[in-house]
Parts: sequence; C-alpha cells; structure tokens
Amino acid sequence: MSVSSKLLRCYVYGVFCLMTLPLLVVVGVSVNPSARFEISLSSFSLHWFEQFFGRAEYVRALFAVSLPVACLAAILATTVGTLAAIALVRFEFRGRALVESVFMLPVLVPSILLGAALYLLFARLNLAGSFSLLVIGHTLIGVPFVIRVVSAGLTGVNPALEEAVVNLGCTRVLAFWKVVMPLLRSSIASGVIFAFILSFSDVNISLFLTGPNTNTLPLQIFSEIQWQGDPTIAAASTVQILVVTTLIVLAGRLSRKRLVY
Amino acid sequence: MTGKRALTGGNSDGVVPDDGQRDVALAVNRLVRRYSSDVAVGPLSFSIRHGEFFSLLGPSGCGKSTTLRCIAGFESVDSGEIVLGGRNIEQVPPHKRGIGLVFQSYTLFPHLSVFDNVAFGLKLQKVPRADIAVRVAKALELVALGEFVARMPSQLSGGQQQRVALARSLVMEPPLLLLDEPMSSLDLKLRTQMREELRALQRRLNMTTIFVTHDQTEALALSDRIAVLSQGKIEQIGTPEEIYLRPASRFVAQFIGNSNLVSGQAERAGDTLIEIVSESGLRLAAKAGTLRPGPLTALIRPERIRLTAGEAAPECRRNSFPAEIRSRTYLGEDAHFQLLVDGREPMLATRKMTDDFAPSPGQPLMAYVDPADVYILPA
Amino acid sequence: MSTSSPRKLPSWLWLVAPYLALLVVFLALPLANVLVLSFHRYSPVSIWEPTLTVENYGQIFTPYLSAITLRTFRIGLITTGLCVLLGYPVAYYLARCSKRAMTIGMFIILLPLMVSAVVGSFGWIVILGRSGLANNALAALGLSARIDILYSESAVVLALVHFLLPLMVLPLTASIEKISVRMEEAATVLGAGPVTMFRLVIVPLSRAGLISGVLLCFSIAISVVVISALLGGRRGRLIGNEIYDQVITAANWPFASSLAIVLVLSIIIAMSLALTLGRRKVA
Repeated sequence: MSVSSKLLRCYVYGVFCLMTLPLLVVVGVSVNPSARFEISLSSFSLHWFEQFFGRAEYVRALFAVSLPVACLAAILATTVGTLAAIALVRFEFRGRALVESVFMLPVLVPSILLGAALYLLFARLNLAGSFSLLVIGHTLIGVPFVIRVVSAGLTGVNPALEEAVVNLGCTRVLAFWKVVMPLLRSSIASGVIFAFILSFSDVNISLFLTGPNTNTLPLQIFSEIQWQGDPTIAAASTVQILVVTTLIVLAGRLSRKRLVY
Repeated sequence: MTGKRALTGGNSDGVVPDDGQRDVALAVNRLVRRYSSDVAVGPLSFSIRHGEFFSLLGPSGCGKSTTLRCIAGFESVDSGEIVLGGRNIEQVPPHKRGIGLVFQSYTLFPHLSVFDNVAFGLKLQKVPRADIAVRVAKALELVALGEFVARMPSQLSGGQQQRVALARSLVMEPPLLLLDEPMSSLDLKLRTQMREELRALQRRLNMTTIFVTHDQTEALALSDRIAVLSQGKIEQIGTPEEIYLRPASRFVAQFIGNSNLVSGQAERAGDTLIEIVSESGLRLAAKAGTLRPGPLTALIRPERIRLTAGEAAPECRRNSFPAEIRSRTYLGEDAHFQLLVDGREPMLATRKMTDDFAPSPGQPLMAYVDPADVYILPA
Repeated sequence: MSTSSPRKLPSWLWLVAPYLALLVVFLALPLANVLVLSFHRYSPVSIWEPTLTVENYGQIFTPYLSAITLRTFRIGLITTGLCVLLGYPVAYYLARCSKRAMTIGMFIILLPLMVSAVVGSFGWIVILGRSGLANNALAALGLSARIDILYSESAVVLALVHFLLPLMVLPLTASIEKISVRMEEAATVLGAGPVTMFRLVIVPLSRAGLISGVLLCFSIAISVVVISALLGGRRGRLIGNEIYDQVITAANWPFASSLAIVLVLSIIIAMSLALTLGRRKVA
C-alpha cells in the first residue's frame, strides 16, 4: 500500500515536472542577459522585457489587440452565456436537452475549423482582418464554458428563494436580479475570467482572423519564433504566462469563496 | 515476535492465556494509532476466540472504526501488534490479509453482476471456474439470494445489496470477518430482521466476527462479547450481561441502556448492608459486599425501580420512597416516568402501564429499590 | 381589445436568442459555406467557380496528402494513447489527494493548456534545439549522445501531450472522484493489489471520463496547427497546416474546405465510435 502510493506520487511529481519544465525554461530564458536562448544561473537581467516594451509590434499586440479583444470577448461571452444558462436551468421546455447539446457545439468543433470557416465566409465581405470578427470568434469559444459554470452555480441556488421574493410582490425579473444575481456573482466572475483566458491564449482562431494590424500576442510570438527572433520572444511568452497565471489564481480564489454558499 | 510466540506457545502448552480463552483467533496487543499529538487511538488490547462474535461499541469518534481499519490494513499501526491465526500481520498489505470486510455504505461493484461481484475474490485467487460457480451459488444460498445471480447491483434493494456484500466476503472463507456498521443504512424494520439473520448465519458458519457499531441494542443482541470504547480507549470488555449489569465505569453505565447514577458517601448499616447518602440527601441501602465506607457512585437501572400506587408494603420499608411523577412518556410496550424520589432525587423509572397502573404527572407513588439492585460502580 | 393577438413568444426564447443568433450566423453558416465550397472547382483567378465537382476530395488520395492524413491520424492516436497512460495515474492521484494538493496539482496540469500552445512550443524548441538545453545538459554531463528530435513527429507528439494532457486529466479526475474509496477497499480486501484494483475497479468505473478525455484529446490533436508548424518541420506537417496554407497562402479555398470537411467527418466518426463502444461495454 505505502510502497505503491509512494511510486504513484513519484510518477505524478515526474509528470508535474514535465508539465512545468517548458514554461520554466521560457521564464529562465527571458531573464537571461545573453542573446542566446539559454538559462544562466549567475546573471539576471530584464533587458528582454525592456526590448519587449520598446517594440511597437509587441506593445500593439498586447495592449491594442490581445487585452481589448479578450475583455470584449469575455464580457460578450458572459452576457450571452449567462442568459442562456438561466434559460436552461430555470425554464422547462420541450427539446431542452437538444438545445443544451447544440449550445456545446463550439467546444466540439475544433477552433481551427471555426477560424477557417469564419475566414472563408467573411473574407468575401472583407471582414477577415477586422477586430470585430476576432472578438466574435473568441466570444463563441467562451460561451459554452460560461454556460457550464453559470448553470452549475444556478443549480445551487434554490428556486424557492426567488418564489419567496415574487410572493412579496416583486416581478420575476426583479426578483432574479435582486436575489439570485448576487449569489451568482462568483460563478459569473469565474465565467468572465475563463472566457478571458480562452480568448487571450487562443491562436487557432487568430491565425485566420487577424490582419497585419490585429496580431494578438500569441500570434506575434508565433511569427517571431518562425522568423527566429531574439529572446524578446521569451519575455513576451513570460508576459503571457504571468497574465494567465494571475487570472487562474484569481479564479481559484473565487471558487473557494463559492463553497461558502 | 515475542508476543506471537507467547500466544501460540501458550496454546500448545495448555497454559491458559490471560483472558482465559484457549483458541485465540485474533489478538490485538497494545495497538496504537496516532493522528496528532493529542488525538490517538489506543493502546488497545483484546483477543477474540474462534467463532466468537465480538463487538466494538462506542459513540462516533471513539476509535472503533480506526481499530477495525487497522485490523483490515487500511490504517497503519504506530505501535503494538495484531496477531491473526498466530501470525503478526501489521506489516502485511491489506490485500494479502485475507480478512473479510463488509462496509457501512453499499460497495458492490456497480459494473459487475451479482455473480461476478461474489466471484471477484475467487477469480483473483485463480480458483477453477467450476469451483467458482459452486462456491458462489452456495454463498448466495446462505444469504437467501440464490435466484439473484444474474442481477446487477442497481436492481437490488439496499438490504439485498448488503447481503450480497456479505456473501462476497463469506465466499472467501476468511479467518476473520469484519463488519463496519453494515446495517446502519437500512431502515429499522429491515435492520431488526437482518440482525437475526446475521446472528443465525454467524452461528451456523462459526465465523469469527468483529462487529463495529454505535447502536447498543445491536451490540447487545448480537454479541458474545462487547468491547466498549470511549476516546480511543477500551472502557470494558465483557458479555452483554456483564456490560449491562456490571458496567466498569460511569461512561459504560450511561452509554448502555438508561441509567440512574447516584453519587454519595457510603456508611455502614448493619452486617450485610451499607447506606449511601446521596448529595441530595437520599438514603439508599445497598448490598455491602467488600465495600468500604467512603465516596462512591451507585447505578440503578430504571426497570429495577418498582413503582406502586399507595403505601409501601411493610416488608420493604427500607429503600421505599415516596415519589412524584414529573412527566410520563408512553412508549407502547412500557412507559418512562421521570420521578422526583423522596422529594429530592430525580430518577427515571420504566414500567408497563396496565389497567390498574396508569398514573399521571403529579400523582404520588411509592418507589422501591431492592438493595441487591443497587450496583456500585468500581472506583 | 383584440383577442387574436399573435401568441406571445416564451420568455426562455428571449434568453437564448442572442446565443442562438451567434451560433447560426457565426458557426452554422460558415460551416455550411465550407461544405458548399468543398464541392466547387478551384479557379486561380476567382478562387472558386460555380461548377460542382468532387475532385477536391479526390486530391486527398494523392501520395503527398495521404501521407499527411495518415501522419495526422497516427500522431492523434499516439498522442491520445500517451495522454491516457500519463493521465490516468495523475487523475487518480488528484482525485484522491487532499483538497489543497488537488488545487495545486490541477493548476500545474492546466497551465500548459491555459497559457497557449505557442508558449509551450517555444519552451520545447529551446529545450530540444540542436544546441538547446537538453543537448547542452548532455554535453555538460560528458555524454556524447545527442537529442535530435526537433522538427520531427516525436517533437510534435511531445508538445501535443504536454498541451493536451489537461483535457485528459480533467474528465478522468471528475469521474474517479465519484468512485467511493470504500469501493477500492472492497476490492482490496478481496485480494486485489493496487494495480489489479485499478484495472478492475477504477478503469471500468471511470469509463465516462475516459471517453470524453479521449475524444477531446484526439479531436484537438488531429486539428492542431501551431504546434506542428513550430516543432514538426517538413517531417511533421499535419492536415491543419495544409488547411492553413491552402486558405491563406495558396488561396485554394475549395480544397481547403474539403480538407476541413474530412477533419470534421473524422471527428464525428471518432465520436460515434467512442460513444457506441462505451455504451456497449456498460450494458
């Protein structure tokens, strides 16, 4: 028993190391002063981060494209997804199971197909490189996730609570807004966060839908790697890692709070 | 290892082991399982005869389940030894101990039929197919579920599932069967019925059994011997009668059945009697035995208090007290009376209600306690 | 006053309407367009001309493309298999460890997926390159052996497993969490050692998680672009790369569409296969 559980633990820690190794390497390279892709334990420098913030295409990719697109996509996905989740959990209607599985379609369709399909239709309308199409594409991949999180949260809220308020003379909409929404706050917040992450780290949709002026950060990194750029790539990747890690930790905090309800 | 030799050697030499049993199936010696510096189970020592039905009884958190899980091998032992059939098993991994275990929750494998569930262990032992079929059929007969072989667990009721789980353990012919509150998820009626079946089956197979429960009725009804546990320690080991009639401690007296405990000073009152003066001033006579005057606690079981309407009979003047009923709980078979005895001591008495005897609160009565029924707890 | 007013739409319809509209306009229509395009003839001038044809699908059977298709499925299968092997013990560990350890473990496992495939791939390039960290480490240890798997199928598989393992671990952990520990103990007292117990109890009872994990891994592995573009080189091109090049570089939309349809069909087939297999075993 104990021998095998020790073996299991070693195995799992090994996998954990494998999972973190490439990301640690990226961070290591980013703080290394030399122009080669290496990790030095003796010297530390933020030179490549200065480079990162000094180069227009990186700065534009992060501040003018990735962050705004992710914000908009997250807000849209959360709004649309929350409404849909309310319909799925609070209403009985025929064909609900079917609607539910249709709603999960964007998860089942690989995102590069979604990107390619959006491009093939909208390139004709000259919308391919546009900011708005990128936002919509990213919204689409976020919605199923929001629906899941919010449905789960909503299932945990007793409908009797709304009914009680309705009996006190509120309209149903107002009752929902005043009573259920505050309880859903943390589910909705984690929905926002993960929709943001999905958009922020997407490459497959961006690959097709970005134009010369709308490169997202991951895509900028992608093309820099292909053109064999300098370790600024590592700094950019580290920025990507930092943003995502912070958001995951934040979401973890929220979900711990949710347990209180 | 020395402990093991002492035990097995003791048997073959005919030297009677400390608790007077010749054929020890399982011995637990000074078992300790620590959780943190202040939470620990043990040291516990007890031994169980072949074919004995032994219960570990206590409130939740008393360490009974931990003890069971140590014996099964799911909890590691910090110190002490567990000797099964003359062999130390503390270091043996649980899947090699060969002990049978039936759990509180339903643990039939939901993806396997009743047959495959019961055959699970036999298949692992590579028993020939024909033998498996015979032994599974036999085991299912034992629990009266012969015709359910092909069912899936989800098609069985809770009671049937627990019986299949029992068959799954019995088919392995384990040297020791552990039952971890196996009936607590069943409803009361089914529980009573299964209790009887279990007892009959255990007798018939002469299966050495350890039964963990917090239900004293179950323990009293089923066991050859009971170990009462509290806060990780054994309070008393004994037959159901000993536990009930001669509890070793205040805890046991209160945990098993209903009890009236009277604390006070003992004084001599003649050759064979002593008189206990309670803190409230009640003077209660008891058989003296070897008791010396001094502080002590007396136990009077509620059913031993004789309630009569009117005056006390002359021959039992001693220990006859006027009593007043403060409240009455009718329970069908009998009734519980909360009394104020002699105007000072609150006590509980139980008695059948009859046409002649149906007192109501406020009514004065006489309460009589035979001095032989006043049991003095060991200090 | 009029009693013949049109029937009021149910309120749930208003709630789902925005999402339904999105799905129709930005998912169903584009996919339908892909299907239609795939049956049109390519034209170097106008990209496609309104002539119906199946020759786009015929092209898939040329040696060059069938090699890519086969490679894609091979890599998909190997990746999925490795994810199962690596993921099952991890999922079991996460499902059975303390709450705190689970939070940390999940974070570690999820990170590569969340941070973006590009970053992970970059990390692997730095490690696996000809004068990369792995080879430097080997040289520093005085070994003459060299790792030379960058720009090959192996590198793609490695990075894919790194990227997709979370998608295997997540559903598996959820399934295993639902299996009572008592169930494991019941098997153990009947004589099953840890490995046997795992095979006879955990694996069959976590089948639902396994199926969804396999489906997720496989469908994403066969439609990957970025990882194979960065780590595969010429030897590691996959259908995804071909689609991308046909859409963006070659502007042969009809052919790209037919490839996309093949990919969708493969995923649908894999899905129905997994679901029927899963159902049969349970029944």
